[in-house]
Amino acid sequence: MAFWTLYKRELNSYFQSAVAYVVLFVSALAQGLVFAWLTGRVIDANYKDQSVMQLFFNFPLFWILLFVQIPLITMRVFSEEFKLGTIEMLLTAPVTEWDVVLSKFFGAVSFFLVLWLPIVLDLIALQIFSNPEPPVYWSQLGMTALTITLVGGFYVSIGIFSSVLTKNQIIAGALCFVFIFGAFCLALQKWVAHLDSATLDRISYISLLEHLQNAVLGIFDTRPIVFYVSMTAFMLLVTKTILEGRRLQS
Amino acid sequence: MIEVENFSKSYAGFRAVQGISFHVDKGEIVGFLGPNGAGKSTTMKVLAGYLPPTDGKVSVAGFDVVNDSIEVRKRIGYMPENVPLYTDMRVNEFLRFRAELKKVTRRKIKDRVESVKQLCSLKDVENKIIGTLSKGYRQRVGLADAMVHEPDLLILDEPTIGLDPNQIRAVRDLIKDLGKHHTILLSTHILSEVELTCGRVLVINRGRIEASDTPANLTKLVRGGGSIALEVKAAGAEVVAKLKTVPKVDDVEVDLTAEGEWTHAKIFAEPGVDVREAVYRVVRQNDWPLRELTRVKATLEEAFVELTQD
Repeated sequence: MAFWTLYKRELNSYFQSAVAYVVLFVSALAQGLVFAWLTGRVIDANYKDQSVMQLFFNFPLFWILLFVQIPLITMRVFSEEFKLGTIEMLLTAPVTEWDVVLSKFFGAVSFFLVLWLPIVLDLIALQIFSNPEPPVYWSQLGMTALTITLVGGFYVSIGIFSSVLTKNQIIAGALCFVFIFGAFCLALQKWVAHLDSATLDRISYISLLEHLQNAVLGIFDTRPIVFYVSMTAFMLLVTKTILEGRRLQS
Repeated sequence: MIEVENFSKSYAGFRAVQGISFHVDKGEIVGFLGPNGAGKSTTMKVLAGYLPPTDGKVSVAGFDVVNDSIEVRKRIGYMPENVPLYTDMRVNEFLRFRAELKKVTRRKIKDRVESVKQLCSLKDVENKIIGTLSKGYRQRVGLADAMVHEPDLLILDEPTIGLDPNQIRAVRDLIKDLGKHHTILLSTHILSEVELTCGRVLVINRGRIEASDTPANLTKLVRGGGSIALEVKAAGAEVVAKLKTVPKVDDVEVDLTAEGEWTHAKIFAEPGVDVREAVYRVVRQNDWPLRELTRVKATLEEAFVELTQD
Protein backbone atom coordinates (compact mmCIF):
# COMPACT_ATOMS: atom_id res chain seq x y z
CA MET A 1 0.00 0.00 0.00
CA ALA A 2 2.67 2.46 1.06
CA PHE A 3 4.88 0.99 -1.65
CA TRP A 4 2.28 1.66 -4.31
CA THR A 5 1.73 5.26 -3.16
CA LEU A 6 5.44 5.94 -3.14
CA TYR A 7 5.95 4.20 -6.48
CA LYS A 8 3.33 6.40 -8.15
CA ARG A 9 4.96 9.49 -6.69
CA GLU A 10 8.41 8.36 -7.91
CA LEU A 11 7.26 7.67 -11.43
CA ASN A 12 5.34 10.94 -11.52
CA SER A 13 8.34 12.90 -10.36
CA TYR A 14 10.29 11.70 -13.43
CA PHE A 15 7.70 13.20 -15.69
CA GLN A 16 7.90 16.48 -13.76
CA SER A 17 11.60 16.99 -14.37
CA ALA A 18 13.19 18.56 -17.41
CA VAL A 19 16.26 16.32 -17.20
CA ALA A 20 14.09 13.25 -17.71
CA TYR A 21 12.60 14.68 -20.89
CA VAL A 22 16.03 15.57 -22.23
CA VAL A 23 17.23 12.02 -21.56
CA LEU A 24 14.08 10.63 -23.17
CA PHE A 25 14.50 12.87 -26.23
CA VAL A 26 18.19 12.04 -26.69
CA SER A 27 17.53 8.31 -26.21
CA ALA A 28 14.68 8.27 -28.71
CA LEU A 29 16.68 10.26 -31.24
CA ALA A 30 19.81 8.13 -30.92
CA GLN A 31 17.84 4.89 -31.07
CA GLY A 32 15.90 6.06 -34.11
CA LEU A 33 18.94 7.27 -36.02
CA VAL A 34 21.03 4.18 -35.35
CA PHE A 35 18.11 1.92 -36.11
CA ALA A 36 17.42 3.65 -39.41
CA TRP A 37 21.10 3.57 -40.36
CA LEU A 38 21.46 -0.14 -39.54
CA THR A 39 18.29 -0.93 -41.47
CA GLY A 40 19.81 0.84 -44.45
CA ARG A 41 22.97 -1.23 -44.09
CA VAL A 42 20.99 -4.48 -43.94
CA ILE A 43 19.12 -3.60 -47.14
CA ASP A 44 22.20 -2.35 -49.02
CA ALA A 45 24.56 -5.14 -48.03
CA ASN A 46 21.83 -7.76 -48.26
CA TYR A 47 22.62 -9.22 -44.82
CA LYS A 48 21.37 -12.75 -44.41
CA ASP A 49 22.77 -13.94 -41.12
CA GLN A 50 21.77 -11.12 -38.75
CA SER A 51 18.51 -9.31 -38.10
CA VAL A 52 18.31 -5.57 -37.62
CA MET A 53 17.62 -6.11 -33.94
CA GLN A 54 20.72 -8.23 -33.54
CA LEU A 55 22.82 -5.62 -35.26
CA PHE A 56 21.27 -2.93 -33.11
CA PHE A 57 22.10 -4.57 -29.81
CA ASN A 58 25.58 -5.62 -30.89
CA PHE A 59 26.23 -2.02 -31.79
CA PRO A 60 27.80 -0.08 -28.86
CA LEU A 61 24.94 2.45 -28.76
CA PHE A 62 23.06 0.44 -26.14
CA TRP A 63 25.96 0.66 -23.71
CA ILE A 64 26.76 4.28 -24.45
CA LEU A 65 23.15 5.26 -23.77
CA LEU A 66 23.05 3.06 -20.69
CA PHE A 67 26.06 4.76 -19.11
CA VAL A 68 24.37 8.12 -19.57
CA GLN A 69 20.80 7.16 -18.74
CA ILE A 70 21.34 5.30 -15.50
CA PRO A 71 23.32 8.00 -13.63
CA LEU A 72 20.95 10.70 -14.87
CA ILE A 73 17.79 8.95 -13.74
CA THR A 74 19.08 7.61 -10.44
CA MET A 75 21.37 10.34 -9.12
CA ARG A 76 18.59 12.36 -7.54
CA VAL A 77 16.49 9.63 -5.97
CA PHE A 78 18.00 9.79 -2.50
CA SER A 79 20.42 12.72 -2.80
CA GLU A 80 17.57 15.14 -3.32
CA GLU A 81 15.62 13.77 -0.37
CA PHE A 82 18.66 14.30 1.84
CA LYS A 83 19.33 17.74 0.47
CA LEU A 84 15.75 19.00 0.82
CA GLY A 85 15.37 17.22 4.16
CA THR A 86 12.23 15.50 2.86
CA ILE A 87 13.66 12.15 3.94
CA GLU A 88 12.69 13.15 7.49
CA MET A 89 9.13 13.83 6.40
CA LEU A 90 9.07 10.57 4.47
CA LEU A 91 10.41 8.38 7.26
CA THR A 92 8.16 9.86 9.92
CA ALA A 93 5.15 8.66 7.95
CA PRO A 94 4.18 5.06 8.64
CA VAL A 95 6.42 3.56 5.94
CA THR A 96 9.35 1.17 6.19
CA GLU A 97 12.79 1.58 4.67
CA TRP A 98 11.99 -1.28 2.29
CA ASP A 99 8.92 0.58 1.02
CA VAL A 100 11.11 3.58 0.26
CA VAL A 101 13.99 1.69 -1.36
CA LEU A 102 11.80 -0.61 -3.45
CA SER A 103 9.51 2.16 -4.64
CA LYS A 104 12.51 4.19 -5.75
CA PHE A 105 14.04 1.15 -7.43
CA PHE A 106 10.93 0.12 -9.34
CA GLY A 107 10.18 3.73 -10.20
CA ALA A 108 13.62 4.13 -11.76
CA VAL A 109 13.43 0.77 -13.56
CA SER A 110 10.03 1.72 -14.96
CA PHE A 111 11.36 5.00 -16.26
CA PHE A 112 14.39 3.21 -17.67
CA LEU A 113 12.07 0.92 -19.64
CA VAL A 114 10.20 3.97 -20.90
CA LEU A 115 13.54 5.19 -22.26
CA TRP A 116 13.77 2.01 -24.35
CA LEU A 117 10.23 2.16 -25.68
CA PRO A 118 11.33 4.02 -28.84
CA ILE A 119 13.22 0.96 -30.11
CA VAL A 120 10.04 -1.09 -29.75
CA LEU A 121 8.21 1.52 -31.82
CA ASP A 122 11.03 1.40 -34.37
CA LEU A 123 10.70 -2.38 -34.64
CA ILE A 124 6.93 -2.13 -35.02
CA ALA A 125 7.37 0.47 -37.73
CA LEU A 126 9.84 -1.77 -39.54
CA GLN A 127 7.38 -4.64 -39.33
CA ILE A 128 4.53 -2.56 -40.72
CA PHE A 129 6.38 -0.89 -43.58
CA SER A 130 8.49 -3.85 -44.77
CA ASN A 131 7.46 -5.72 -47.89
CA PRO A 132 7.57 -8.69 -47.75
CA GLU A 133 6.83 -8.76 -44.02
CA PRO A 134 9.87 -10.08 -42.11
CA PRO A 135 9.34 -12.95 -39.67
CA VAL A 136 9.07 -12.13 -35.97
CA TYR A 137 11.48 -14.03 -33.72
CA TRP A 138 9.64 -13.98 -30.41
CA SER A 139 12.28 -15.83 -28.42
CA GLN A 140 14.99 -13.38 -29.47
CA LEU A 141 12.73 -10.43 -28.73
CA GLY A 142 11.69 -11.84 -25.39
CA MET A 143 15.21 -12.68 -24.26
CA THR A 144 16.50 -9.28 -25.35
CA ALA A 145 13.73 -7.48 -23.47
CA LEU A 146 14.35 -9.60 -20.39
CA THR A 147 18.10 -9.00 -20.49
CA ILE A 148 17.69 -5.25 -20.97
CA THR A 149 15.36 -5.20 -17.98
CA LEU A 150 17.75 -7.24 -15.86
CA VAL A 151 20.85 -5.26 -16.84
CA GLY A 152 18.87 -2.04 -16.33
CA GLY A 153 17.65 -3.24 -12.94
CA PHE A 154 21.16 -4.14 -11.83
CA TYR A 155 22.52 -0.79 -12.97
CA VAL A 156 19.63 1.10 -11.41
CA SER A 157 20.31 -0.65 -8.10
CA ILE A 158 23.93 0.56 -8.34
CA GLY A 159 22.68 4.07 -9.13
CA ILE A 160 20.33 4.08 -6.15
CA PHE A 161 23.13 2.80 -3.97
CA SER A 162 25.36 5.69 -5.17
CA SER A 163 22.58 8.15 -4.47
CA VAL A 164 22.09 7.00 -0.89
CA LEU A 165 25.75 7.71 -0.19
CA THR A 166 25.65 11.47 -0.65
CA LYS A 167 23.38 14.47 -0.68
CA ASN A 168 25.18 15.87 -3.69
CA GLN A 169 23.47 14.77 -6.89
CA ILE A 170 26.54 15.37 -9.05
CA ILE A 171 28.73 13.22 -6.84
CA ALA A 172 26.04 10.54 -6.81
CA GLY A 173 25.87 10.62 -10.61
CA ALA A 174 29.64 10.47 -10.98
CA LEU A 175 29.94 7.58 -8.50
CA CYS A 176 27.20 5.71 -10.30
CA PHE A 177 28.99 6.16 -13.62
CA VAL A 178 32.26 4.90 -12.16
CA PHE A 179 30.58 1.85 -10.61
CA ILE A 180 28.54 0.80 -13.62
CA PHE A 181 31.36 1.48 -16.05
CA GLY A 182 33.66 -0.54 -13.77
CA ALA A 183 31.20 -3.43 -13.68
CA PHE A 184 31.07 -3.37 -17.47
CA CYS A 185 34.85 -3.13 -17.90
CA LEU A 186 35.56 -6.06 -15.57
CA ALA A 187 34.72 -8.32 -18.46
CA LEU A 188 36.71 -6.37 -21.05
CA GLN A 189 40.03 -7.68 -19.76
CA LYS A 190 39.22 -10.71 -21.86
CA TRP A 191 40.53 -8.77 -24.82
CA VAL A 192 43.35 -6.87 -23.20
CA ALA A 193 45.00 -9.36 -20.87
CA HIS A 194 46.44 -12.78 -21.67
CA LEU A 195 44.36 -15.12 -19.55
CA ASP A 196 44.02 -18.89 -19.39
CA SER A 197 40.77 -20.45 -20.56
CA ALA A 198 39.44 -21.19 -17.05
CA THR A 199 39.63 -17.51 -16.11
CA LEU A 200 38.07 -16.56 -19.42
CA ASP A 201 35.16 -18.86 -18.66
CA ARG A 202 34.71 -17.32 -15.27
CA ILE A 203 34.75 -13.85 -16.72
CA SER A 204 31.86 -14.69 -19.03
CA TYR A 205 29.70 -15.19 -15.94
CA ILE A 206 29.96 -11.50 -15.25
CA SER A 207 30.28 -10.20 -18.79
CA LEU A 208 27.25 -8.01 -19.37
CA LEU A 209 28.24 -7.65 -23.00
CA GLU A 210 28.21 -11.39 -23.61
CA HIS A 211 24.92 -11.84 -21.77
CA LEU A 212 23.27 -9.38 -24.10
CA GLN A 213 24.89 -10.88 -27.20
CA ASN A 214 23.58 -14.32 -26.24
CA ALA A 215 20.14 -12.98 -25.40
CA VAL A 216 19.85 -11.31 -28.79
CA LEU A 217 20.43 -14.73 -30.34
CA GLY A 218 17.51 -16.02 -28.28
CA ILE A 219 19.64 -18.21 -26.04
CA PHE A 220 17.96 -18.81 -22.71
CA ASP A 221 20.53 -19.09 -19.96
CA THR A 222 19.63 -19.13 -16.30
CA ARG A 223 23.12 -18.14 -15.11
CA PRO A 224 22.94 -14.45 -16.06
CA ILE A 225 19.37 -14.27 -14.74
CA VAL A 226 20.47 -15.57 -11.37
CA PHE A 227 23.49 -13.27 -11.50
CA TYR A 228 21.46 -10.11 -12.14
CA VAL A 229 18.62 -10.89 -9.77
CA SER A 230 20.94 -11.77 -6.91
CA MET A 231 23.29 -8.82 -7.50
CA THR A 232 20.34 -6.43 -7.71
CA ALA A 233 18.86 -7.82 -4.51
CA PHE A 234 22.22 -7.49 -2.82
CA MET A 235 22.64 -3.85 -3.89
CA LEU A 236 19.13 -3.05 -2.67
CA LEU A 237 19.84 -4.67 0.67
CA VAL A 238 23.03 -2.62 1.02
CA THR A 239 21.09 0.54 0.05
CA LYS A 240 18.40 -0.16 2.62
CA THR A 241 21.03 -0.81 5.29
CA ILE A 242 22.82 2.45 4.52
CA LEU A 243 19.55 4.38 4.52
CA GLU A 244 18.76 2.99 7.96
CA GLY A 245 22.29 3.70 9.13
CA ARG A 246 22.15 7.31 7.95
CA ARG A 247 18.95 7.87 9.89
CA LEU A 248 20.15 6.21 13.04
CA GLN A 249 23.45 8.04 13.06
CA SER A 250 22.32 11.47 11.93
CA MET B 1 0.18 10.38 25.59
CA ILE B 2 3.93 10.92 25.75
CA GLU B 3 6.09 9.14 28.31
CA VAL B 4 9.78 9.97 28.41
CA GLU B 5 11.98 8.31 31.00
CA ASN B 6 15.65 9.03 31.41
CA PHE B 7 16.06 9.73 27.75
CA SER B 8 19.50 10.65 26.40
CA LYS B 9 20.68 11.25 22.87
CA SER B 10 24.27 11.51 21.72
CA TYR B 11 25.62 12.50 18.35
CA ALA B 12 29.14 11.33 17.64
CA GLY B 13 30.20 11.69 21.25
CA PHE B 14 28.27 14.91 21.90
CA ARG B 15 25.46 14.50 24.38
CA ALA B 16 22.59 16.58 22.98
CA VAL B 17 20.04 15.41 25.52
CA GLN B 18 21.06 14.17 28.94
CA GLY B 19 18.70 11.86 30.73
CA ILE B 20 15.45 13.86 30.67
CA SER B 21 12.09 12.60 31.87
CA PHE B 22 8.70 14.13 31.29
CA HIS B 23 5.21 13.16 30.29
CA VAL B 24 2.42 14.80 28.39
CA ASP B 25 -1.19 13.85 29.05
CA LYS B 26 -3.93 13.48 26.50
CA GLY B 27 -5.47 16.80 25.54
CA GLU B 28 -2.63 18.99 26.78
CA ILE B 29 -0.98 21.72 24.76
CA VAL B 30 2.61 21.77 25.87
CA GLY B 31 5.16 24.36 24.81
CA PHE B 32 8.72 23.25 24.47
CA LEU B 33 11.13 26.11 25.13
CA GLY B 34 14.86 26.40 25.16
CA PRO B 35 17.75 28.21 23.53
CA ASN B 36 19.04 27.09 20.15
CA GLY B 37 20.93 23.83 20.46
CA ALA B 38 19.26 22.92 23.75
CA GLY B 39 17.98 19.62 22.41
CA LYS B 40 14.41 20.55 21.46
CA SER B 41 14.49 19.39 17.86
CA THR B 42 16.40 16.26 18.80
CA THR B 43 13.78 15.32 21.35
CA MET B 44 11.01 15.96 18.84
CA LYS B 45 12.73 13.84 16.20
CA VAL B 46 12.95 10.99 18.67
CA LEU B 47 9.28 11.36 19.60
CA ALA B 48 8.40 11.29 15.91
CA GLY B 49 10.19 7.97 15.52
CA TYR B 50 12.83 9.38 13.19
CA LEU B 51 15.82 9.02 15.51
CA PRO B 52 16.27 6.32 18.12
CA PRO B 53 17.13 7.34 21.68
CA THR B 54 20.69 6.53 22.76
CA ASP B 55 19.43 5.67 26.21
CA GLY B 56 16.19 5.60 28.15
CA LYS B 57 12.63 4.82 27.24
CA VAL B 58 10.40 6.95 25.03
CA SER B 59 6.85 5.93 24.25
CA VAL B 60 3.94 7.60 22.52
CA ALA B 61 0.36 6.45 23.11
CA GLY B 62 1.73 3.39 24.83
CA PHE B 63 3.95 2.35 21.91
CA ASP B 64 7.72 2.32 22.12
CA VAL B 65 9.29 4.64 19.53
CA VAL B 66 11.95 2.09 18.62
CA ASN B 67 10.13 -1.23 18.68
CA ASP B 68 6.74 0.00 17.48
CA SER B 69 7.95 2.85 15.34
CA ILE B 70 5.29 2.34 12.66
CA GLU B 71 2.47 2.33 15.25
CA VAL B 72 3.85 5.51 16.76
CA ARG B 73 4.13 7.20 13.36
CA LYS B 74 0.51 6.35 12.56
CA ARG B 75 -0.62 8.28 15.62
CA ILE B 76 1.45 11.42 15.32
CA GLY B 77 1.49 14.35 12.99
CA TYR B 78 5.00 15.69 12.88
CA MET B 79 6.01 18.97 11.35
CA PRO B 80 9.81 19.14 11.18
CA GLU B 81 11.80 22.33 11.52
CA ASN B 82 12.09 24.23 8.21
CA VAL B 83 9.20 22.18 6.78
CA PRO B 84 10.80 20.06 4.06
CA LEU B 85 8.32 19.50 1.20
CA TYR B 86 8.44 18.07 -2.30
CA THR B 87 8.83 21.28 -4.25
CA ASP B 88 7.82 19.73 -7.56
CA MET B 89 4.33 18.78 -6.38
CA ARG B 90 1.14 20.79 -6.31
CA VAL B 91 -0.48 21.48 -2.94
CA ASN B 92 -3.50 19.26 -3.65
CA GLU B 93 -1.39 16.51 -5.07
CA PHE B 94 1.01 16.64 -2.12
CA LEU B 95 -1.70 16.51 0.52
CA ARG B 96 -3.43 13.61 -1.24
CA PHE B 97 -0.08 11.80 -1.47
CA ARG B 98 0.60 12.33 2.22
CA ALA B 99 -2.91 11.27 3.23
CA GLU B 100 -2.57 8.09 1.21
CA LEU B 101 0.85 7.44 2.70
CA LYS B 102 -0.51 7.92 6.20
CA LYS B 103 -3.17 5.31 5.52
CA VAL B 104 -6.22 7.53 5.37
CA THR B 105 -8.87 5.33 3.79
CA ARG B 106 -9.60 6.00 0.14
CA ARG B 107 -13.14 7.18 0.86
CA LYS B 108 -11.99 9.74 3.40
CA ILE B 109 -8.99 11.18 1.57
CA LYS B 110 -10.97 13.81 -0.31
CA ASP B 111 -12.78 14.99 2.81
CA ARG B 112 -9.65 15.13 4.91
CA VAL B 113 -7.67 17.04 2.30
CA GLU B 114 -10.52 19.52 1.87
CA SER B 115 -10.85 20.03 5.59
CA VAL B 116 -7.14 20.63 6.28
CA LYS B 117 -6.99 23.03 3.35
CA GLN B 118 -9.88 24.89 4.90
CA LEU B 119 -8.26 24.90 8.35
CA CYS B 120 -4.92 26.15 7.07
CA SER B 121 -6.40 28.63 4.55
CA LEU B 122 -4.79 26.93 1.58
CA LYS B 123 -7.81 27.06 -0.71
CA ASP B 124 -6.40 29.81 -2.90
CA VAL B 125 -3.10 28.03 -3.59
CA GLU B 126 -4.40 24.47 -3.86
CA ASN B 127 -3.27 24.09 -7.47
CA LYS B 128 0.05 25.84 -7.17
CA ILE B 129 3.39 24.10 -7.24
CA ILE B 130 4.87 24.05 -3.74
CA GLY B 131 8.22 25.32 -5.02
CA THR B 132 6.60 28.61 -6.01
CA LEU B 133 4.91 29.24 -2.64
CA SER B 134 6.10 31.74 -0.07
CA LYS B 135 7.50 30.67 3.29
CA GLY B 136 4.21 31.33 5.04
CA TYR B 137 2.23 29.14 2.69
CA ARG B 138 4.78 26.35 2.87
CA GLN B 139 4.56 26.48 6.62
CA ARG B 140 0.82 26.03 6.37
CA VAL B 141 1.18 23.18 3.88
CA GLY B 142 3.44 21.50 6.44
CA LEU B 143 0.86 22.03 9.14
CA ALA B 144 -1.90 20.69 6.90
CA ASP B 145 0.26 17.65 6.19
CA ALA B 146 0.78 17.04 9.91
CA MET B 147 -2.98 17.05 10.52
CA VAL B 148 -4.25 15.27 7.45
CA HIS B 149 -4.59 11.82 9.06
CA GLU B 150 -6.22 13.18 12.23
CA PRO B 151 -3.40 12.12 14.54
CA ASP B 152 -3.86 11.91 18.29
CA LEU B 153 -0.68 13.84 18.85
CA LEU B 154 0.76 16.78 16.94
CA ILE B 155 4.47 17.50 17.23
CA LEU B 156 5.24 20.90 15.75
CA ASP B 157 8.81 22.12 15.58
CA GLU B 158 8.68 25.90 15.41
CA PRO B 159 5.37 26.15 13.56
CA THR B 160 5.32 29.94 13.37
CA ILE B 161 8.89 30.69 12.38
CA GLY B 162 9.04 32.87 9.28
CA LEU B 163 5.41 33.94 9.38
CA ASP B 164 4.13 37.51 9.42
CA PRO B 165 2.26 38.76 12.50
CA ASN B 166 -1.16 38.09 10.98
CA GLN B 167 -0.22 34.59 10.01
CA ILE B 168 1.27 33.97 13.45
CA ARG B 169 -2.02 35.00 14.97
CA ALA B 170 -3.90 32.72 12.59
CA VAL B 171 -1.67 29.75 13.37
CA ARG B 172 -1.95 30.47 17.08
CA ASP B 173 -5.73 30.42 16.90
CA LEU B 174 -5.56 27.26 14.84
CA ILE B 175 -3.36 25.55 17.44
CA LYS B 176 -5.69 26.61 20.22
CA ASP B 177 -8.58 25.19 18.27
CA LEU B 178 -6.77 21.95 17.53
CA GLY B 179 -5.95 21.63 21.21
CA LYS B 180 -9.61 20.85 21.85
CA HIS B 181 -9.29 17.47 20.11
CA HIS B 182 -5.57 16.79 19.90
CA THR B 183 -2.59 16.62 22.18
CA ILE B 184 0.02 19.11 21.00
CA LEU B 185 3.70 19.50 21.70
CA LEU B 186 5.16 22.56 20.05
CA SER B 187 8.49 24.28 20.19
CA THR B 188 8.92 27.96 19.58
CA HIS B 189 10.99 31.00 20.39
CA ILE B 190 8.01 33.30 20.47
CA LEU B 191 7.22 33.38 24.17
CA SER B 192 4.06 35.42 23.96
CA GLU B 193 2.69 32.64 21.80
CA VAL B 194 3.37 30.09 24.52
CA GLU B 195 1.68 32.26 27.11
CA LEU B 196 -1.40 32.48 24.95
CA THR B 197 -1.69 28.91 23.75
CA CYS B 198 0.05 26.46 26.04
CA GLY B 199 -1.31 25.00 29.23
CA ARG B 200 2.13 23.90 30.27
CA VAL B 201 5.69 24.76 29.42
CA LEU B 202 8.77 22.57 29.38
CA VAL B 203 12.00 24.52 29.52
CA ILE B 204 15.01 22.63 28.29
CA ASN B 205 18.58 23.86 28.45
CA ARG B 206 21.79 22.07 27.58
CA GLY B 207 19.97 18.81 27.24
CA ARG B 208 18.25 19.01 30.63
CA ILE B 209 14.73 19.93 31.70
CA GLU B 210 14.98 23.12 33.74
CA ALA B 211 11.32 23.60 34.49
CA SER B 212 7.91 22.15 33.76
CA ASP B 213 4.94 24.23 34.81
CA THR B 214 2.16 26.50 33.64
CA PRO B 215 3.31 29.78 32.09
CA ALA B 216 1.79 31.66 35.02
CA ASN B 217 3.68 29.63 37.60
CA LEU B 218 6.91 29.96 35.69
CA THR B 219 6.72 33.74 35.77
CA LYS B 220 6.29 33.53 39.52
CA LEU B 221 9.73 31.99 39.70
CA VAL B 222 11.14 35.29 38.57
CA ARG B 223 11.81 37.36 41.67
CA GLY B 224 8.41 36.92 43.25
CA GLY B 225 6.54 37.09 40.00
CA GLY B 226 7.23 40.70 39.17
CA SER B 227 8.19 44.08 40.50
CA ILE B 228 6.73 47.48 41.32
CA ALA B 229 7.78 50.46 39.30
CA LEU B 230 7.93 53.74 41.19
CA GLU B 231 8.87 57.17 39.94
CA VAL B 232 9.27 59.98 42.50
CA LYS B 233 11.03 63.30 42.75
CA ALA B 234 13.72 62.50 45.31
CA ALA B 235 17.36 61.51 45.57
CA GLY B 236 18.07 57.95 44.52
CA ALA B 237 20.01 56.94 47.61
CA GLU B 238 17.30 58.24 49.91
CA VAL B 239 14.59 56.38 48.04
CA VAL B 240 16.48 53.11 48.33
CA ALA B 241 17.19 53.57 52.03
CA LYS B 242 13.59 54.44 52.93
CA LEU B 243 11.94 51.76 50.81
CA LYS B 244 14.16 49.02 52.11
CA THR B 245 12.67 49.52 55.56
CA VAL B 246 9.24 48.54 54.25
CA PRO B 247 8.37 45.05 55.53
CA LYS B 248 8.49 42.21 52.97
CA VAL B 249 10.45 44.24 50.44
CA ASP B 250 13.39 42.16 49.25
CA ASP B 251 15.27 44.55 47.09
CA VAL B 252 15.11 48.00 45.57
CA GLU B 253 16.93 48.88 42.38
CA VAL B 254 17.59 52.46 41.37
CA ASP B 255 19.74 53.87 38.61
CA LEU B 256 21.93 56.22 40.68
CA THR B 257 23.69 57.61 37.63
CA ALA B 258 20.45 58.88 36.06
CA GLU B 259 20.25 62.63 35.57
CA GLY B 260 17.38 64.91 36.56
CA GLU B 261 15.51 65.05 39.81
CA TRP B 262 13.17 62.14 39.12
CA THR B 263 14.17 58.74 40.40
CA HIS B 264 12.89 55.53 38.87
CA ALA B 265 12.93 52.60 41.30
CA LYS B 266 12.19 48.92 40.82
CA ILE B 267 10.89 47.27 43.99
CA PHE B 268 11.01 43.49 44.45
CA ALA B 269 8.83 42.01 47.15
CA GLU B 270 8.52 38.53 48.56
CA PRO B 271 6.54 36.13 46.35
CA GLY B 272 2.81 36.71 46.41
CA VAL B 273 2.93 39.88 48.51
CA ASP B 274 1.54 43.16 47.23
CA VAL B 275 3.50 46.02 48.81
CA ARG B 276 2.02 48.86 46.80
CA GLU B 277 0.04 50.25 49.71
CA ALA B 278 3.07 50.24 52.01
CA VAL B 279 5.14 51.92 49.33
CA TYR B 280 2.51 54.59 48.89
CA ARG B 281 2.64 55.35 52.65
CA VAL B 282 6.39 55.81 52.50
CA VAL B 283 5.98 58.17 49.57
CA ARG B 284 3.37 60.21 51.47
CA GLN B 285 5.37 60.31 54.70
CA ASN B 286 8.33 61.76 52.85
CA ASP B 287 6.13 63.97 50.71
CA TRP B 288 7.82 62.87 47.51
CA PRO B 289 6.04 64.08 44.38
CA LEU B 290 4.82 60.89 42.69
CA ARG B 291 4.22 60.28 39.00
CA GLU B 292 4.22 56.50 38.67
CA LEU B 293 3.36 53.53 40.83
CA THR B 294 2.61 50.38 38.87
CA ARG B 295 2.88 46.68 39.24
CA VAL B 296 5.01 45.12 36.48
CA LYS B 297 4.24 41.46 35.95
CA ALA B 298 7.20 39.25 35.17
CA THR B 299 7.06 37.94 31.62
CA LEU B 300 7.73 34.47 30.45
CA GLU B 301 10.68 35.98 28.66
CA GLU B 302 12.27 36.90 31.96
CA ALA B 303 11.57 33.44 33.30
CA PHE B 304 13.11 31.98 30.19
CA VAL B 305 16.22 34.12 30.51
CA GLU B 306 16.55 33.31 34.18
CA LEU B 307 16.17 29.58 33.62
CA THR B 308 18.43 29.24 30.65
CA GLN B 309 21.19 31.73 31.35
CA ASP B 310 24.27 30.68 33.23
